[in-house]
Amino acid sequence: MLKVKSLSKEYNSGEHILKAANNISFNVDDGEFVSLVGKSGSGKSTLLLLLGALDKPTSGSIVVDGEDLAKKSDRELVRYRCLKLGYVFQSFYLVPNLTALENAMLPMEFAGLATNERKERAQYILEQVGISGDKINRRPGKLSGGEQQRVAIARALANKPKLILADEPTGNLDSETGKKIFNLLKELSRSENTTIIVATHDNNIAAKTDRKLTIVDGQLKQDK
Amino acid sequence: MASLIRGFKNAFRSGIRTVAIVIILGVSIGLSLTMLVARQAVDNKISAVKSSIGNTVSIQPAGFNSYSAINNSLTVSQLADLIKIPNVTAVNETLTERLTTIGSTDLSFGLQSTNSSNATTSLSSPVKLNLKRHLFKAGGGLFFSGGGSSSIPTNFSLPITIIGTSNSQNINGQSLTLEQGNYFSPSSNSDLAIISSNMASKNNLKVGSTFQSYNVNFKVTGIYLSANNGALGNAAIVPLSVEQSLSGQSGDVTAAEIFVNSIDNLSSVTSAIQKELGSNVNVTNAIEDANTEVSPLNSVKTISLYSVIGAIIAGGIIILLTMIIVARERRKEIGIFKAIGASNLKIVSQFAAESSTLTLLGAVVGILIVILAGNPMTKFLVSNSTTAGTVGNGRFSRLGSFGGGAGGRFVSGGRGVGGVLRSNITNVHAVIGWDVLLYGILAVIIISVIGSVGIALVISKVRPAEIMRTD
Ligand SMILES: Nc1ncnc2c1ncn2[C@@H]1O[C@H](COP(=O)(O)OP(=O)(O)OP(=O)(O)O)[C@@H](O)[C@H]1O
Ligand SMILES: [Mg+2]
Repeated sequence: MLKVKSLSKEYNSGEHILKAANNISFNVDDGEFVSLVGKSGSGKSTLLLLLGALDKPTSGSIVVDGEDLAKKSDRELVRYRCLKLGYVFQSFYLVPNLTALENAMLPMEFAGLATNERKERAQYILEQVGISGDKINRRPGKLSGGEQQRVAIARALANKPKLILADEPTGNLDSETGKKIFNLLKELSRSENTTIIVATHDNNIAAKTDRKLTIVDGQLKQDK
Repeated sequence: MASLIRGFKNAFRSGIRTVAIVIILGVSIGLSLTMLVARQAVDNKISAVKSSIGNTVSIQPAGFNSYSAINNSLTVSQLADLIKIPNVTAVNETLTERLTTIGSTDLSFGLQSTNSSNATTSLSSPVKLNLKRHLFKAGGGLFFSGGGSSSIPTNFSLPITIIGTSNSQNINGQSLTLEQGNYFSPSSNSDLAIISSNMASKNNLKVGSTFQSYNVNFKVTGIYLSANNGALGNAAIVPLSVEQSLSGQSGDVTAAEIFVNSIDNLSSVTSAIQKELGSNVNVTNAIEDANTEVSPLNSVKTISLYSVIGAIIAGGIIILLTMIIVARERRKEIGIFKAIGASNLKIVSQFAAESSTLTLLGAVVGILIVILAGNPMTKFLVSNSTTAGTVGNGRFSRLGSFGGGAGGRFVSGGRGVGGVLRSNITNVHAVIGWDVLLYGILAVIIISVIGSVGIALVISKVRPAEIMRTD
């Protein structure tokens, strides 16, 4: 599914160059549930942004389903993010003036689905992640943090992506809710054979994944 | 479609800002449409003025504008060959005289015909005028023969203009419509007259009645409405040969009007006539006159054109800046859209829908403004530019003055055009039609496109990775 080779990302912050990703290589199989752990500032988000084609690496390559991201045009990258990828952000990043339903419908709109289809599917996934009833017509501001993260996950799932990248999806939630969200993701990876990479601080969560990648100062230190 | 609806809704996300922007845009669009309306009205007026003038060339002896004595005059034999000039269809000749009325003993400045010692008529003045007002309108042509007294008599009778003409249907380029009676034939040498309705009512004259002038009884054959014939409001029209012989000016004319088959041939015929008659004769055509008279309107046209362009650019800049601010405020949202797979085009079209909504609302306000302000603004522009442009123009003065020129033979203006124009030129009426709405929509499109360019600039620069960091 995913082949990462000698991936580096340098940030030039004035005097010295910071290697937020330093010569990282690893492969991920289809349907694998992988956790990415490391201290704050170790480079987890950096790696996910590169995998999501939201940022460009300084060197190295990322091959998804046999396709090198570096060789894709801007248009193709838009399609990659839209159809192949689901991204879950630590702080949800829902569009504030759209309802839960409208937020979950957005990726399908970009994929070109008809309105009815979008609505039907969005309602279905929202229900799957536990958002139903009048909540689907509320704006994010009127949902709890856990509910917002569920909507964000529903949005990430909208176009049935093969790869889900989740950057600390439970970081802003209490441990109880965090656990529920995590279990939701895990179930998905099983039922839909979706490949999931989750960045997390939480070793308890990491322990429950198929595989744990540990990052220290931008370098991949452990893979088990 | 969904992104357009989102853009439409986003236009109302910030209520106060929406209202402010709509008002500012509305004023700018309203101003530009008002200017367009003014421009259109003036344009219509200009073509109306030009087409009302017709295809004529006027001929007058040189120096008719000065109030010194004029010794040279035109003669019938001089003009005889003009009809042979290509494209000339008719030659109308007139001989104009001013006669005092009987019984006005206290009037020392009414004009006497120099060529005829018995230049009196039995007509009383058709209109009593407040002399003071007309003195100023006359544009400097008036002065008093006595020289000593500067007091203005309040009880003043107008001198009567007698016009001998070779064509009673068209006097000095102004076609004459009769209210009653008939025209006389061009070759007539009977003592017939067509008089104005004012004169008829003041003197109790009807078709068939007679009055005395040059000690001869003239029979009224027709009456025309004074109100419709401004320059001829105070005149009696008689056959040319009759006027020539009674005033002792056989073979003389004071003016001629040459009719040309097409307006396109006016200037060539004008120069041909000038060549034929020499430099002692003023040969002018109506187009030149019209151009002079409408020149202030042309300046209104120019002003309004620049205003239109300026207002549209201003509107474009307003929406451009607004949308740049809005887009910058929503950088994060744009980053999210990009991160979840939206193309730049999708996002730009959403913002374009937002700016178009604002602009359209602005256009509605603008159209309301134009409905309220279109006509007053047009009138304001026209009156301001015409007062600056035409007061003191010699051609108007000659037509407006009626008392001056002590001693010299008075040659009145050859043509009514100037006077007619003068009274009408400021009477420009703006009409707000569907085309204004069309222009409004065009303005909206232009402004929206400018706005969208600004949005696109911001959007293309937003990088999702950066946005995801700023927490
Ligand atoms: N745009 C940037 N310019 C310069 N340095 C940056 C930039 N973005 C990240 N960094 C640095 O790169 C390093 C890795 O950051 P990153 O956000 O990937 O860490 P992280 O593991 O996700 O941390 P956390 O757990 O706190 O989210 C950090 O030292 C950070 O300061
Ligand atoms: Mg991070």
